[in-house]
Amino acid sequence: MVSELPWDARTGTLKREMAGGMMNPACKHAMEAALQLKHIHGAHITALTMGPPMAEEVLREAVAMGADRGILLTDKRLAGADTLITSYTLARAIEAVCPHFDLVLCGCSAADSETAQVGPQLAEELGVPGVAYVEQLSIQQGAVVRMQRVADDFLETLEMKLPGLVTLTTSKYAPRYVPLSGVQDAFESGEILTLDADGLGLDPNVVGLKGSPTQILDVFSPTTGKKNIVLKGAPKKIVEQLLEKFDDRIGGAAGKDLKVDEQG
Amino acid sequence: MNFNPCMKHKLVRKTVRRFAEAELGPIAHDIDRDARFPWEVIEKMRPLNFFGLQVPKEYGGADVDSISYAITIEELSRVCAGIGLCVTVHNSVGAYPIVKFGTGEQKERFLPSLACGERIGAFCLTEANAGSDAGGVETSAVRDGVDYVINGTKIFVTNGGVCGSAIIFAITDPENTRNAASVFIVEKGTPGFTVGEIEDLCGMRANPVSSLFFEDCRVPASNLLGRAGDGLRVGLAALDTGRIGIAAQALGIAQGAYDAALKYAKERHQFRKPIASFQTIQNYLADMATEIDAARLLLYRACAFKDAGQPFGSEAAMAKLYCSSVANRVTSLAVQVLGGYGYSREYDVERYFRDAKVTEIYEGTSEVQRMVIARNLLAQLT
Amino acid sequence: MSEIKSSIWVFGDYRNYFQNRVTLQLLARAVDMAPSIDAEVCAVVFGHEVDEWIGEYIAHGARKVYVIEDPALKQYSVEIYTALMERLALEYRPDIILVGATSFGREFAPRVAKRLGTGLTADCVGLDINESGLLVQTAPSFGGNLLAKIVTPTSRPQMATVRPGTFQEIPHNYEATGEVIRLPLPAGLPEDRVRLIHSERVEQRDQKLEDAAVVVCGGRGMGSKQKFKKLHELARLLDGEVGATRPVVYSDWIGTDALVGQAGRHIRPQVLFSFGISGAIQHTAAVNDSNFIIAVNKNLNATMMKMSDVAIVADANQFCLALIKELKKRIRD
Repeated sequence: MVSELPWDARTGTLKREMAGGMMNPACKHAMEAALQLKHIHGAHITALTMGPPMAEEVLREAVAMGADRGILLTDKRLAGADTLITSYTLARAIEAVCPHFDLVLCGCSAADSETAQVGPQLAEELGVPGVAYVEQLSIQQGAVVRMQRVADDFLETLEMKLPGLVTLTTSKYAPRYVPLSGVQDAFESGEILTLDADGLGLDPNVVGLKGSPTQILDVFSPTTGKKNIVLKGAPKKIVEQLLEKFDDRIGGAAGKDLKVDEQG
Repeated sequence: MNFNPCMKHKLVRKTVRRFAEAELGPIAHDIDRDARFPWEVIEKMRPLNFFGLQVPKEYGGADVDSISYAITIEELSRVCAGIGLCVTVHNSVGAYPIVKFGTGEQKERFLPSLACGERIGAFCLTEANAGSDAGGVETSAVRDGVDYVINGTKIFVTNGGVCGSAIIFAITDPENTRNAASVFIVEKGTPGFTVGEIEDLCGMRANPVSSLFFEDCRVPASNLLGRAGDGLRVGLAALDTGRIGIAAQALGIAQGAYDAALKYAKERHQFRKPIASFQTIQNYLADMATEIDAARLLLYRACAFKDAGQPFGSEAAMAKLYCSSVANRVTSLAVQVLGGYGYSREYDVERYFRDAKVTEIYEGTSEVQRMVIARNLLAQLT
Repeated sequence: MSEIKSSIWVFGDYRNYFQNRVTLQLLARAVDMAPSIDAEVCAVVFGHEVDEWIGEYIAHGARKVYVIEDPALKQYSVEIYTALMERLALEYRPDIILVGATSFGREFAPRVAKRLGTGLTADCVGLDINESGLLVQTAPSFGGNLLAKIVTPTSRPQMATVRPGTFQEIPHNYEATGEVIRLPLPAGLPEDRVRLIHSERVEQRDQKLEDAAVVVCGGRGMGSKQKFKKLHELARLLDGEVGATRPVVYSDWIGTDALVGQAGRHIRPQVLFSFGISGAIQHTAAVNDSNFIIAVNKNLNATMMKMSDVAIVADANQFCLALIKELKKRIRD
């Protein structure tokens, strides 16, 4: 976890080098799902990540787990991209290194900003169908992927023809432990390709911070100046005050409607 | 000289830490309290190469570099020292002597089952009357036809209660002062080889330390490791490597205790402030962190020398001596920082405190380590 | 089409209506912000047989509702709805589009943003208009440890998703009127490449303490084992789980796997009720990831009270009983 505020107010980017980088948990589950599919159907797995040079470690870990190769997109000019531009950049990279892909698997969201947007936007950019928050998937006859998920209290079974994109939750596909020989081999003989913006033919004005439609104005800690509300008095009265102010908050968390009943 | 960890070592650390925290973390307290060896976790460790760290790939091992090895033992011990001990003893003195001194036939016969953890290895040197004085060993191995017959009792054998094979240090030629001893590999199930009761120890309680009894135990001469009379050479070489593992183990204990003290100091409030804001506590934490760092650098230097093929015995002794003393100082301070909670058996810190002590005793006491270092220093005078 | 006024659009997510009121909450926020940019608050509804929702949205602040109604739109479809929203947005050019961060919204909104080439901030905990008339989107960053203020300076529309429960809806006003603009299903819509094979409502699944959105924690301040048991009833009413402190577990008022603390379980609920707990470090270290803490204690200076968002000075047991009584009145099943 980050101990110092990694916000560089000059350039308006997040200093990712300061955080002890690690593979995003949801992506690990996606990696595990890929390995299980490979085990059943046979497949070539490419792990792809965009980040500073030290992100290579995440690719080595993917290879140690069983990916066939890793692609590192690294370029200072790509830094500071928001999800729109990130998905654009990733799409170009996929088209360059793996144009005939069958399936793109992503973790449903990233632990740092948890927007969960890159997956759907990447599908749009690649022009393939996509489904998010899938819990389980299987490949059927005729290159069709069948998916199960719970979305907004509906248990759904969906299908789409490949090529497609799926984002996975962390509810299933618990990532396997990496054997130490795997780590060893990933560094000795693992195939890692590095690409930069020029290598992909990207216009620097379109990518990275420059190309991103959203901009971070400021980053701050939520607990500074925490003031709480004190309620005193008869329990019945406090209950009414509490619910008057926070019925949506409590109700939202509980999934219930706590509004006063008109008839009551 | 690059003092930053390379990417591979960072990944090794994360990999082992993840396993240790998930699998050993939840049970470490209870298996210490109950002195239980967690077979269910050992089962999960087998396919991950924990038992083949220093065995060549052709025999099913991972054959990692020494720093990766040290990191692995450190991270296991940081969560559960008793299991860290099991793994390092198995690797350094249970399997590695066979790698270094075994014949092709012996390697084929013993290494695969050791490397995959099917068999856990042990090393028997200490006896009731022979601890630091290895020359005082009384266990005998008498030639009889194509076999040797072993008689004697080994005590305080780490992994004794669960070992599948053991490496025994025994006297084959009492008259010969320099080449009196030899080293044998004895497999569990050999008639005459029995395991005694598990010791009730202050720390490392998850490890089944026990006595091993040899009563007219007959082993074929093909189980002799090295040549007859090679005992001292094989034994000392094994201990050199073992020292790196124990140093790493002590380092892990120190690191675990320090991590707990740091976390507590930031959260615990007294006099309306976190205790980490008081200078005394800050001094303690600074001292702990500095000593741990120094210990780590000594350890990695010994590892680097070993991997480079340089003599590393004295450096390994320094690492073991220093890491174990740091572990004792740091764990004592950690208990102090946690105060009453540090003394309570409900929390982990007192376990680290108990576990640390033996690192100054086994695999060569701190006094013996000093002997080794002094011998090396004085040899350079002549 | 001459659009003089700028507009704030709110996507009508009416699946699970009653439980899910995020659309109404967003309408309320839009109504709050609209005056500063002289904007009109509109709702957008796609589906089949949607009159009830249109009425609700107007009653809760929408001055205009764009409706595309067709049997083909009965099931929510990310691909189809994205295409519809894209066309509407390109034609009517709203300034801001707000979408509730339901599972659907979190897939739908990014795709719309992508199609329109604009920015989107997810899971906003705050929305405001600044002096320059820009929508300032406050959202969690770094796993929720920090907050970021984000703007979309030039691209339009400015888009944001917001989790249910972030904003308060305004009381309904059934006298309110609004313009309902019914549009036909456009021709040439893409075929949905994702087929829904099967869909069924699920009961609330078995929750672990660590996953629960609502946790009710009790301490010695509850008084006795009998009184402590009432917390289970409260938790049930709110679809939550019960946790406890060390002394409570040791006194056998509840089983050991309810222990919330450093030696027990670490929780991160959206709402934590803390009844009669002083707040020893072993406990607070395991609850300080909670989103919103309501603490009840006779002692205002207890650590748990200082950590809370709402500190209620009262007897824990009495307050619990009063809360249960009121909730039973309000919760429609």
